[in-house]
Amino acid sequence: MKTLQGFGYRRGTSAVHRLDPRSKMIYVLLFAALAVYFANLLVLLLIFASSLPLVALGKVSDRWSRSIRGSLFFIVFIFTFNFIAMIFMSYPLLDAALSGISMSLRFITLISVFSAFFLTTSPEDLAQSMVQLRVPYDYALTFNMAMRFVPTLSREAQIIIDAQRSRGLELEKGSLIQRVKNYVPILIPLIISSFRRAELVADAMESRAFGASKKRCPLYVLTLRGGDYAFIAVTVVSFLLILSLRFVLGVP
Amino acid sequence: MIVVRDVSYAYEPGRQVLDSVSLSIGDGELVALIGENGAGKTTLVKHFNGLLKPQRGTVTVDGTDTREATVATLARKVGLVFQNPDHQLFAETVEKELSFALANFGVPAGEASRRVEWALEAFELGEYRNRSPLTLSGGERKRLALASVLCYDPQIIVMDEPTTGQDSRQKSRLASLLTRLNDSGKTVITVTHDMEFVAEFIPRTIIMSRGKVLADGRSADLLVNRAYLESASLLPPQLAEISWELGLAEPSIDLEAVVNAVRGARR
Repeated sequence: MKTLQGFGYRRGTSAVHRLDPRSKMIYVLLFAALAVYFANLLVLLLIFASSLPLVALGKVSDRWSRSIRGSLFFIVFIFTFNFIAMIFMSYPLLDAALSGISMSLRFITLISVFSAFFLTTSPEDLAQSMVQLRVPYDYALTFNMAMRFVPTLSREAQIIIDAQRSRGLELEKGSLIQRVKNYVPILIPLIISSFRRAELVADAMESRAFGASKKRCPLYVLTLRGGDYAFIAVTVVSFLLILSLRFVLGVP
Repeated sequence: MIVVRDVSYAYEPGRQVLDSVSLSIGDGELVALIGENGAGKTTLVKHFNGLLKPQRGTVTVDGTDTREATVATLARKVGLVFQNPDHQLFAETVEKELSFALANFGVPAGEASRRVEWALEAFELGEYRNRSPLTLSGGERKRLALASVLCYDPQIIVMDEPTTGQDSRQKSRLASLLTRLNDSGKTVITVTHDMEFVAEFIPRTIIMSRGKVLADGRSADLLVNRAYLESASLLPPQLAEISWELGLAEPSIDLEAVVNAVRGARR
């Protein structure tokens, strides 16, 4: 659940916060693509490192590190499954281990890049930038609300876990299958209350005349400024440089 | 017996939710825990069954330090009912919902089904036994959540806001059930904002404010104390307010006492 906290936005005034969401989107898309494209450990480290200046300048390192720490749990799974699968396909041990490490590093890199984006981008600005990119407003809003409810959901999951433990549920008890089953009393209330909340939000929005007028106009319009152009330029150049590692040097 | 000694707790460093809280609740007591929103009431009761462990100080339940016991062991003794029933109802039927804790604690089948029948009867849920808990009304879900904890017969019962969403009939049924349980020797602790409920049924009150215990004593004394109520943003019970309006020498939350005082003054 800690991983989710690494995606909750809080107001900030740093240079990274003030960048237009569209410039940060370019960064996220290009560098996430690189992380998927490359398997080389050093290149993945380089891509991971690219997110660090954003985290540092945005002063969000404590929540960012929480999301990284939270994702360590998944890495154990990713590594183990990948390793076992490779061994079954009769790859040598070293190759299997390296591929497991590179998979895990790729996952951490993706988490870091997305976390840097969401920690420094306000959901309202994000929705507005999507609208300016001609995404239909309904979709932008849906996306925005989904993001908005992530921290709520993680808080609620914690309460549900507490409530069921109070009724004697022990999550870490039993065989592997039993342990998975132990989560049923957590997941059902979580899903049901999400539905209830969705219905409630829909009702509340309709009571406030959502969708009454087809033509919306925004209060603020996002514009790209000098800093944005500089950021995009640096992003695109470093993207091309990293990409050239494959085509010029043949790095996997 | 719950003993809280000098307990402090913060969810985030620097923001103390509990600040050196000390109190003790003896066996067979009936206690209300009241205070403004964010006073730390829920955080405190989560210490009683070990969901939260004190960051400073100690909490002991019947002599066991909560840091040295699992939640499952403590929960067998301390039944904690959460505020929102939707955070715990999940089973296919009301009956299965009631059996959940009984199964977790390994209560033998015969005893378990007797406990389920008792809970269905005590909370007027018998007619819904085969319904899905999710199709019940808000008030019924609330009652089912209470029943699903009370059914395993914990020695200490802790409830967070048990009266919200209940009409006056259900409220007085709840009160008489709590009184009966208390008479049979159970310790009952309720977190509540329902001052009338406290005034009428609960003899001891602990007022919390900003993470501290502001006052701890007889409800009859505390609920007529304007200073305490105001500093914890609490609404005085109507009888206390009437007493003040009429300028009674001894403000009271007891209906008979107020009536007698008014009659005495008239004569």
